[in-house]
Amino acid sequence: MRSQFGRNGGWKRPDSSNIEQVSEAVRRNKRKLGPIILGVLLLIAILTGVYSVNPGEQGVVRTFGKETGKTGPGLHFALPIVQKVDVVNVEQIRRVEIGFRGKERVPSESLMLTGDENIVEAQVIVQYRVIDPSKYLFRLRDPEQTVLATAEVALRSVIGRTTIDDAMTTGREEVQSETRSQLQTLMDTYQSGIAITEVKLQMVDAPDEVREAFHDVVRAREEKEQKINKAKGYNEDLIPRARGEARQVVRAAEAYKQQRELRANGDVANFLAVLEEYRKAEKVTRDRLYLETMERILRTIDKKTLVDRDVTKNALPVLNLGPAVVGGQAGGK
Amino acid sequence: MERKFYVFALLLLFAAGIAKSSAFVVDETEQVIITQFGQYKRTISEPGINFKLPYIQTVERMERRILSSDARSDKYLTLDKKWLVADPITRWRIADPLKYFMTVHDEARARQNLDDIVLSEMRREIASHNFGDIVGNARDPLMIAVAERASSQVKDFGIDVIDVRIKRADLPTEVQESVFARMRAERERIAKKYRSEGDEEAAKIRADTDKDKTIILAKAYEEAEKLRGEGDAISTKIYAEAYGKDPEFYTFLRSLTAYEQLLNAQTSVVLSTDSPLFKYLDNPSKK
Repeated sequence: MRSQFGRNGGWKRPDSSNIEQVSEAVRRNKRKLGPIILGVLLLIAILTGVYSVNPGEQGVVRTFGKETGKTGPGLHFALPIVQKVDVVNVEQIRRVEIGFRGKERVPSESLMLTGDENIVEAQVIVQYRVIDPSKYLFRLRDPEQTVLATAEVALRSVIGRTTIDDAMTTGREEVQSETRSQLQTLMDTYQSGIAITEVKLQMVDAPDEVREAFHDVVRAREEKEQKINKAKGYNEDLIPRARGEARQVVRAAEAYKQQRELRANGDVANFLAVLEEYRKAEKVTRDRLYLETMERILRTIDKKTLVDRDVTKNALPVLNLGPAVVGGQAGGK
Repeated sequence: MERKFYVFALLLLFAAGIAKSSAFVVDETEQVIITQFGQYKRTISEPGINFKLPYIQTVERMERRILSSDARSDKYLTLDKKWLVADPITRWRIADPLKYFMTVHDEARARQNLDDIVLSEMRREIASHNFGDIVGNARDPLMIAVAERASSQVKDFGIDVIDVRIKRADLPTEVQESVFARMRAERERIAKKYRSEGDEEAAKIRADTDKDKTIILAKAYEEAEKLRGEGDAISTKIYAEAYGKDPEFYTFLRSLTAYEQLLNAQTSVVLSTDSPLFKYLDNPSKK
C-alpha cells in the first residue's frame, strides 16, 4: 500500500501537506486493519489445521517430519505447516487380485509351474488390512504394489512345491494356508504393517490348451465309479435273490423230509390197523378187500368184455386171465 | 519513519531467508546427508527438525523406506540344460547414505547396479541347480544364497539387500507347447487307466457275485438233498419195520392199490369167467 502510494505520489507530484494527510489516514486505517488481518489469518490457520478421523481410521501425526502421535476417531487439530497428518483406515479389508482383474483373465500372472512340471492356471484373491499405520506409511514404499508382487512370489513358490493333482483337488486348502503364511512372513520382513487376513483360491484349473484332456479324466473317473456302481447293483440284485432261492430249496427239502416221515407213519399206522383186523379173520378179509376193490375199479371202466373160460382156451390164447390178474393190458382209446 | 520500516522489513526478510536455509525437516521416510561445498559433513537418519549453516551447507535427501527393484525377466540355463524364465524382485534399502550418495548417487543408478549384480548371481545359482528343484524345493535356499551374495557385493554402494525372490519361474513360451503335449498325454493315460480300472472292478464284482450265487445255490442243494435223503431213509425204515410184520399181506394190499391206480375209465378190460371175481357167475354153488 505504501509503495503504491509512493508511485502515485511520483506521478501526481503532490505537496507535502497532502503527503502528511494521506500518511495520517493510512496510519489510522492500519490500526483498524491489523487485527482484521490477524483474525483472518488465525481463522485460516484453525480451518486448515482441523481434521476429522472417522471410525475405523487412525490419524498419524508428524511434527517437523517425525511421528509424534496417533489420533483416534473424532475431530482433531494439527498445527498448520508444523504438523502433517495421514489418516489411514485400519479396519477396511483391502484386496488384490492375482491372475485376473475383475472379469479379465491375466494369463501372465495366472499361469504357473507346479512341482511336477505341469502348468496350472490359478486365480487368487488376497485380502489384507493395515494393522500398523506407522509402518504402513513410513517403512515400506508402495505397500499395495508390494502385496501384489509378494503374493505372486508366495503363491508360485507354494504351487511349485505341489503336484498339479493336489493343487486342483485335495491340496487347495493347504495351498491357501501356506501361501497366506508365507506372504505374511514376507510382508513382516518388509515392515509393511499389513496383516494378510485371507488368501482365497478362486480357481485352480488346467490351462485352456489342455483343459479338455483334464475334463476327460474327470469323466473317466466318473465312468469308473458308474461301472463299479452298476456292478455293485448287479451284486445287490443277484445275491439276495440267490439267498431267497436257496432258502426256498432248503425249506422245501425240510418239508419233504417231514412229509416223508409223517406220511410213512400214517401209512404204517393204517397198515398196522388193517393188519391187526386181518389177522383175526384172514380169509374173509382178504376176499372182501379183493372184491370191493375190483368192484370199484370195474365200475369206473367203460369197456368191459367178459369172455367164457372155453373161449379163453380156444380163441384168445394171448390173454392170460389168471385168478389174481384182472385186465392187465391197458387198451387205450 | 519510512526508512526504519524498510530496514525492519529487510531484516525480517533476511532472517527468514537464513532460517529457511538453515532449518530443515527430515521426514519419517527420509534420511539425509549434509555437505558443505561438496564436502561431506554429517548424516541424519532420524526424522525431526534440524539446522545447518545457511547457504554453504546443502541437504541431500534419500529414502529411508524399504524399496523394491523388479528386474526384467530373463532366460537362464539350468544344470540339467533346460531354459527357465525367471523374474527376480529385490527388496533393498539405503543402509549407508554417504556411501550410497558417493557411489550410485540416485535410485535409478542404484537399481541398475543392483539388478546387474542380482541377475549375474541368479545366473550362477540357477546354473548349479536342476530345473525341477528351482521350481520346487530348492527355490527358497537358492534365493537366500543369491540375496547373500548380492548383499555382500552391494555393501560398497551403501545398500542393504533384504531379500531376493523369484516372482515368476516359467518355461520359455517355445517349450510350453511341448509341456502341454506331455500334459495331454499324461491325462489321456490317466483317463484310460480310470476307464479300465472301472472295467476291472466291475468285472471282479460281477465274477464274485456269480461265484457267490453259485455257491449259495449249491450249498442249498447240498443241504436239501441231505434232508431229502434223511426223509427217504426214515420213511423207508418205518415202512420196512411195519410191513415186515406181514410181507405177503402188504404185497396183497399194495397190489390192490396199484390196480386201482392203473385202471381207469379209458381202459379196455377183457375178463374171463375163470376170474375168481366171477366164480359164482355160472355156478352159485361152486366150492
